[in-house]
Amino acid sequence: MTIILTKKSNKYRIPALPVFFMVLGVLFTTSVCPQQANGKMVMTQAVMCESIETFRPLNPAVVFSISQGEVYCFSNFDPVVQKTIIFHKWYKRDQLIFTMQLTLMPPKWSSFSRIQLRDADKGPWRVEIRTADDTLLQTLRFSIVD
Amino acid sequence: MEALFSLFSGFRWQDGLDILLNAYILFRLYVLFRGTNVIRAILTICVLWAVSQAAVSLGLIITNWAMQGIITVAALIVIIVFRNEIASVLQTKNLKSFLWGIPRYQFNTPLNIIVESVYELARKKIGALIVLPLKQGLDSVVQDGIPIRGKLSQELLVSIFWPDNPLHDGAAILQGERIISAGAILPLSKSKDLPSFFGTRHRAAFGLAELTDALVIVVSEERGEITLFKENQIHGVHNRLALGKLLQEHAGDESAPNGIRNQAIELFAAGLISLLCFTGIWLSFSKGMETLATHEVPVEFIKPDQRMEIISSSASNIKLQISGARTLINAVKPEQIKIKLNLLQAVVGTNKLPVTRENILLPPGIRLKKIEPSLLEITLDSLVEKELSVQPHWVGTLPKGLIMTQASVTPQTVLVTGGGLSLKEISTIFTEQLSLNDLTESGTIVAVPVLKPTSIRLKTTETIRVHYLISKKAGTL
Repeated sequence: MTIILTKKSNKYRIPALPVFFMVLGVLFTTSVCPQQANGKMVMTQAVMCESIETFRPLNPAVVFSISQGEVYCFSNFDPVVQKTIIFHKWYKRDQLIFTMQLTLMPPKWSSFSRIQLRDADKGPWRVEIRTADDTLLQTLRFSIVD
Repeated sequence: MEALFSLFSGFRWQDGLDILLNAYILFRLYVLFRGTNVIRAILTICVLWAVSQAAVSLGLIITNWAMQGIITVAALIVIIVFRNEIASVLQTKNLKSFLWGIPRYQFNTPLNIIVESVYELARKKIGALIVLPLKQGLDSVVQDGIPIRGKLSQELLVSIFWPDNPLHDGAAILQGERIISAGAILPLSKSKDLPSFFGTRHRAAFGLAELTDALVIVVSEERGEITLFKENQIHGVHNRLALGKLLQEHAGDESAPNGIRNQAIELFAAGLISLLCFTGIWLSFSKGMETLATHEVPVEFIKPDQRMEIISSSASNIKLQISGARTLINAVKPEQIKIKLNLLQAVVGTNKLPVTRENILLPPGIRLKKIEPSLLEITLDSLVEKELSVQPHWVGTLPKGLIMTQASVTPQTVLVTGGGLSLKEISTIFTEQLSLNDLTESGTIVAVPVLKPTSIRLKTTETIRVHYLISKKAGTL
């Protein structure tokens, strides 16, 4: 199993009005997103997919064929207030197979981890996306099939 | 004293019953046959058997062989020669006297009636022959006789010997307060030392006195004289007092109560000897012939906390090497041996518990030699409840060009109970295998959860449904 990590930072010039709405948006979502309440980051997307193209997940799914060759866990954070570490923890059934540490950089960041598939990997899997203090952000459940 | 206690260690109530029962049988045999020649013959056989056993222990092969032959022949001779005495004992119709009655000899005999009867017969010059048996049986020496079993009275006794009475020629046999039989024929003595004036009646009386311990009274028909015969002795009686004294001595020293006391002492001694004999035999059985045996016994765990669960044990059976008398070892049933381990001190996790003698229950008389293994490693867990996420377990292949974009389960979680240690490592419960092969469009499937490990139990009864979305894969037509 090979793990490949890539990350991409998008830099924008931030005008005043959009910043105002962004602040409103932040305030609006405070009650539902604890990460944002801490002023750290918000995970906007987390999916399992067949591949990544132009920093976007291609064919998000919950079942992957072994013939696909590899499977990706894609996560997107926006905003990222400061440099933050997260983990992608890959479990086959309830057994931890590996943990990938990913660094998120402000202002927003997409990151993914990947496994290459073998015949022995068939079965139910899950990926837990956790923060450095082990807070669970999301669990993605999927199966690897024939 | 300690040695004595150790001899009786493991003494069971069954052993006590065993000894008492057999000792009583031996005692009864003695009571029934005492005074007969059979008991002497049996005692002789017992001595021969003891000699035979001594010969075995000393390695005297020929002596042992000879003794065994003699014992066999002696047993046959006893049965043939003393068949009448044996039959008279065994054919008794009185169950009480056979099982627990003590036969009384002449203690209850009304001696004054005999004295008066004898003197009346003497005065009237009526010849008479009266036998008062003591301990020895008369069956093997006395022939015929007409059974009477009538209560002794002066009139009856005199009438038996009245001239022209068909029974007057034989002897009357008295037992206790009864006339047992009359007209009995006694063996004639072949002694040449008897006085010439003694007739056939005197010779018969002397003949019986020679062979048994009975007392025989003869009343001479010609002279009206009274003569007593006992154990080769002849006593001429000249007055009632002398006759009464001789009869009393015969019945039991000088007075009847003494006779009863002596009989009680004799019977007590016989009972004690019987008891000691069978106690000795029990000891030889239980302490001799020590043998070893190995039993594989399942361990019973006593859980003080029912929420505790035994996850694993290094051994479920323990081999016990036990020793004891062969008969006891052979009688041991598997359910009589128990190993009970109390888990009071055990904690959740791995515990090393020693198996000691205190944990093992053995039948009485059985000793423990070895425990293998003497240490058990037991893993305990406590029952807890946990909420587990449910995840579908897909297998197979979706039709080409299709992709499953979403799958959700209702309920998302289920409540289970199981060992805390087992559940600690589990956060998800998976469904049975759900085939993708025939799925072409979105839908819902009812799924059954697979409980692994099998010790966990589902607490919720809600049906698990898997809702899935299927769409065409991007980039396919």
